[in-house]
Amino acid sequence: MLNIKNLQYQYKNADDLYTYNLEVNPSEVVAILGQSGSGKSTLLDIVAGFIEPMKGSVILDEQELLGLSVEKRPITILFQNHNLFEHLSVQKNILLGVNKTLKDSIEEVEKVQDILKEVGLEAYEHKLASQLSGGQQQRVALARVLMRREPVLLLDEPFSGLDDATRIEMLELVQKITQEHKLHTIMVTHDIDDCNRIANHIYKMQNHILVKQ
Amino acid sequence: MKNFLRFKTSLLPGTLIFLTLLSFAFLLFYTLYTSQEGTVFTQIDSRIIGLLKFTLYQAFLSTVLSLVVGVLLAWALAHQSHFKGRGLLVALFSSSLVLPTLIVVFGLIGIFGRNGYLNQASLFLFDHSFGAYIYGLGGILLAHVYLNASFASRALLHSFESIPKEKYKLAKSLNFSVFERFLYVEYPALKSTLLSIGSTIFLLCFTSFAVVLLLGGSPSYNTLEVAIYEAVRLDFDIVMALKLALIQLSISAVLVVLSSGFRTGLANLKTSHTLIPWRETKILRVVQWFIIGLFTLFFVLPLVVIVVDGIEADFGRIFQAPLFIKSFVTSLSLATISSILTVIIAVVLSHTRRNFSLATRLGVKPFAKLLDGIIAFSGNLYLAIPSLVMGLGFFLLYQKTEGSEVVWATAALLTANVLMSLPFALSVLTPAMHKTAQRYDKLAFSLGLTKLQRWIYVEYPYLKSSLGYVFALAFCFSLGDLGIIALFGSDEFSTLPWYLYQLMGSYRNADAAGVALVMLVLVLGMFIVIPKLFKGKM
Repeated sequence: MLNIKNLQYQYKNADDLYTYNLEVNPSEVVAILGQSGSGKSTLLDIVAGFIEPMKGSVILDEQELLGLSVEKRPITILFQNHNLFEHLSVQKNILLGVNKTLKDSIEEVEKVQDILKEVGLEAYEHKLASQLSGGQQQRVALARVLMRREPVLLLDEPFSGLDDATRIEMLELVQKITQEHKLHTIMVTHDIDDCNRIANHIYKMQNHILVKQ
Repeated sequence: MKNFLRFKTSLLPGTLIFLTLLSFAFLLFYTLYTSQEGTVFTQIDSRIIGLLKFTLYQAFLSTVLSLVVGVLLAWALAHQSHFKGRGLLVALFSSSLVLPTLIVVFGLIGIFGRNGYLNQASLFLFDHSFGAYIYGLGGILLAHVYLNASFASRALLHSFESIPKEKYKLAKSLNFSVFERFLYVEYPALKSTLLSIGSTIFLLCFTSFAVVLLLGGSPSYNTLEVAIYEAVRLDFDIVMALKLALIQLSISAVLVVLSSGFRTGLANLKTSHTLIPWRETKILRVVQWFIIGLFTLFFVLPLVVIVVDGIEADFGRIFQAPLFIKSFVTSLSLATISSILTVIIAVVLSHTRRNFSLATRLGVKPFAKLLDGIIAFSGNLYLAIPSLVMGLGFFLLYQKTEGSEVVWATAALLTANVLMSLPFALSVLTPAMHKTAQRYDKLAFSLGLTKLQRWIYVEYPYLKSSLGYVFALAFCFSLGDLGIIALFGSDEFSTLPWYLYQLMGSYRNADAAGVALVMLVLVLGMFIVIPKLFKGKM
């Protein structure tokens, strides 16, 4: 279980104090609702390690994550934009960061092909990321989630730029991946329909405090 | 502290470089200050006041004229945005940044000099010669406008083209006159660029050396830089040179500090076309075409003269001259080493600087802004320390240590070339590196990429075009500079600009034309070829 307890953050030169409490079980999607600037993405930035909270804890299966550097946290994050390096191929994008060398092994390359099949992008491995549509790019980003096999998936409004049909497809894909791979998924969104579609639990930012609905 | 340790590999090299640069500046100032023992620094006579007055006066006039011409040209180009060859013309104007001053002066003399084409045409048509009017304030202003108006016009054109076309539509619907349109729509968009470019042009003209040396004509048109050169090389009056150098250094430093608030980079700005869905009135179109035509002639003719006169030179003799070969090899070697050093130092400093400006790194730390500013200042040292002053420092160190002249001259030239190119290199690379980090930091950090992986897969593909531009810029600056070499130049140690200056000084005009053409081809060739090599398009 991912347990976020009494996490507090305050931006420099600002009065507002954000407070978060949250629990996510394996194979569950937890959605966080809130208006722009309400502090939803700040939570993801803290959990991912981009910013440090003033106090609190983020515990995954009894391991405290807050002391770990970004790259050591068992987390994959998807943003609204810039999830891929546009000048690299789909295959390289998925493999980047999996190992520390510049050469990819045959096993890894084969695994990429299997994963691409799973996200519906078979035979796309040699295409450049810039040649893909917005929906296809987010599928590649999800393929990377499967390749990295990290137990926590953070989604920072990754499908808000997509058309309705593609967005629904992607949400269902997230749900499927979460359940099959027993991920702890936190999805930030401002769309109540998205929450209702796939979330097991919904939380809302109210007056800078995260409240379970 | 944990965060500082996390970025130690990108903080340490940049910190070391900036400490080295600041130590160098301190050593230079210390050498100059301690060498003036026995003289009274504060004793400023009327000659020095005269020099200072003229230096400021010509810099002020050059800046105003360059800006007026630059605004007119940018305005005309912005409103005539769809003619064939416009892109080429804009690219040509921007090449003025790398044209060696000496070559420009050589070309201008070929057109406007006593024996220039203009005088010859006047003699032929009206039996009247204008004489040697190019020598003096007129010539200095002409050369400064040639060098600065063209590159100012590019930055200003960028500002014109960033004006939303809705504003032009509004101006049209309100029936604005051309003057009102400029005042309410265009000028507000140009204001910050005018301040930024204006202060840079003023600094460049204040420390201008080769133009004043060649076109000043008489002592009454001397600037501080030329006076320093004459004190060292002609009068052997080191005491006077030191006094002038310290004055020059103090004023330059004050000017740099005063203008640092609004002086931004001179990055390789990309221009585009403004799509205004109506044509200008006929009279405006005539005026705009007249401005474009006149400036094109003014800009292109000196270059054409260099080519026409140069082609007739006896290249067999020039290429066999031992001093030419020596100068050629020295220039190319120094330019190559300087460019490599410039690129490395600029990358490292930009890499360190972005740690202090990004929130994902150390940007939120209390001292981030101050440290960023200090590192930025170390990269812009050249603007505060004119090359002749730097050269004098090296000259004194050489005299004190009694080392090899060639070694000291090489060190002086490499240092000056790198410092000269750094402000431009940083103004191109810092925003580019900031942008890649801003865009990919979170992704790259969360993927746990190694430094090497990040450089190969993320940084280099995005930066290679900027790296090529910076390398080319540094190469051309180094190849064409007649600054420090004026103090160290001799038959034992010579560069192409110094060799050309010697030929011009001894009235070997045919050979000088040949060498000028070689330099022009080299500089323009490198400026075009090197960025393409980096992009992998060759």
